[in-house]
Amino acid sequence: MIVPLGDAALLVRFADSLSDEANRRVLALAASLAAEPVPGVIEVVPSLVSVLLRYDPRHSDPGMLAGEIGLRLHAAAPVAPSSSRAISVRFGGAAGPDLAEVAERLGLDEAEFVRRHNATPLRVLTTGFAPGFVYCGFHPPELVLPRRDSVRQAVPAGSVLFAAGQTAIAATEIPTGWHLIGRTGFRNFAPHRTPPTHLAPGDTIRFEVEP
Amino acid sequence: MTARLRVERAGPLCTIQDTGRPGLLTHGISASGPMDRGAFDRAGRRAGAAGAAGIEFTAAGIGLRVVDGRLAAGWDGARFEATVNGRALDWPGGAVLAAGDRLDILPGRQGNYGYLRFGATLELPAVLGSRATSTRAGLGGLDGRSLRAGDELRLSGPEGTPEPVASMATEEGPIRFVWGLHAGLFSPTLREHFVSARFRVTAAMDRMGVRLADDAGVFAGESILSLVSDPVLPGDIQILGDGTPIVLMRDHQPTGGYPRIGTIVSADIDRFAQLRPASPVAFRPVTVEHAHRLLRSRPT
Repeated sequence: MIVPLGDAALLVRFADSLSDEANRRVLALAASLAAEPVPGVIEVVPSLVSVLLRYDPRHSDPGMLAGEIGLRLHAAAPVAPSSSRAISVRFGGAAGPDLAEVAERLGLDEAEFVRRHNATPLRVLTTGFAPGFVYCGFHPPELVLPRRDSVRQAVPAGSVLFAAGQTAIAATEIPTGWHLIGRTGFRNFAPHRTPPTHLAPGDTIRFEVEP
Repeated sequence: MTARLRVERAGPLCTIQDTGRPGLLTHGISASGPMDRGAFDRAGRRAGAAGAAGIEFTAAGIGLRVVDGRLAAGWDGARFEATVNGRALDWPGGAVLAAGDRLDILPGRQGNYGYLRFGATLELPAVLGSRATSTRAGLGGLDGRSLRAGDELRLSGPEGTPEPVASMATEEGPIRFVWGLHAGLFSPTLREHFVSARFRVTAAMDRMGVRLADDAGVFAGESILSLVSDPVLPGDIQILGDGTPIVLMRDHQPTGGYPRIGTIVSADIDRFAQLRPASPVAFRPVTVEHAHRLLRSRPT
């Protein structure tokens, strides 16, 4: 589905709710548009289940752009993950005050939760919410927990967050309603570097216990 | 031409802005840039600005002293009062300032944001291609923060030529928008109500967003749960879980999971940004084609 988002962008949406397939289609379309740009599209933003395409409303015709994008949708092939990275995490304790509760609610002890959390490599689904903030998924159904009822006004950069079948990594201090399960020294945001983030959507992430 | 300016008084949230850093949403960074782009541009033409950056000030204004050197300055946006060494000058307007001069921008009758641009270029480092401040992300300007008393700004390089600028007719009437991503999640009755009701701008406003009061209760009792996150753009009208409408502005978060009923058209975002707390606001839906005609018929 291609819908306008205001008068200067189109949004290509593959689903109304989060799914692995929709996210893979997002990555495929973004890869196709990066490899062969559509004239008039000035920014391509892959998200969880949608791709945002910005255009210049003074010069471009969104109908024409939507036509071009429609053709790409048929041609876009799945993309292989572009790179793989291990992220070392200090789980629990002061770094992850919600770990005990998360494990308990999933019927596991902390060590077993961490083992299962790290067992499957995850994919960077998207960067969003804040600079360098990455959503990684998906955990198996037995590791799915909703967000907390209350929001923490600030968690530090490097916080490792867990909710909704995903693990997220904060690159800056942020407010969050996700469970704070650990902290990493890895920072996915460096404002004086180009590009300013290290991880790209589609990358494979392996979480490890900090030695 | 070089000059040094000292900030002697700064209202809250006065920041350095330029045209912003678009293109980085995929890294989780919104573009920032002036809340009223038209006024920012006009101030630049009045100053003969050679550089892309200038000062955005808020309703309380700002006071600056020229420590040394000499420089052309131009001001525009909303309605403030400008004085140089206590002498009132036109708003909008401009002047050439010399060492020792004190420029004061005082609160005025209308609007939230005004702009001060200079002939020479502000010496500030570009961060990700821009000097625009995002206090949210801590980027740009002076260490990613708002200006405060005691800050010094240096200017250097050639000055441009000030241009005459036609004064802008104040536009009135409803704020025009394009129905949004999640408009279909609201009932036809509610959508009708949305475009006939009057909302009110509240004091809960900043560069990230403007919270509206829904006095008519358009969204009262609506309980659309949060949705999967999608990218966000300035002008998006999102409805929080408790029914509060918020219009996202230049320092918006890059993605959001609240339902968005519409997006304010590009031609009306500047005007919306200038609505003061307590101002009534009504919304009128237009097509994307209509929004483009509005933009293209406007002088650049």
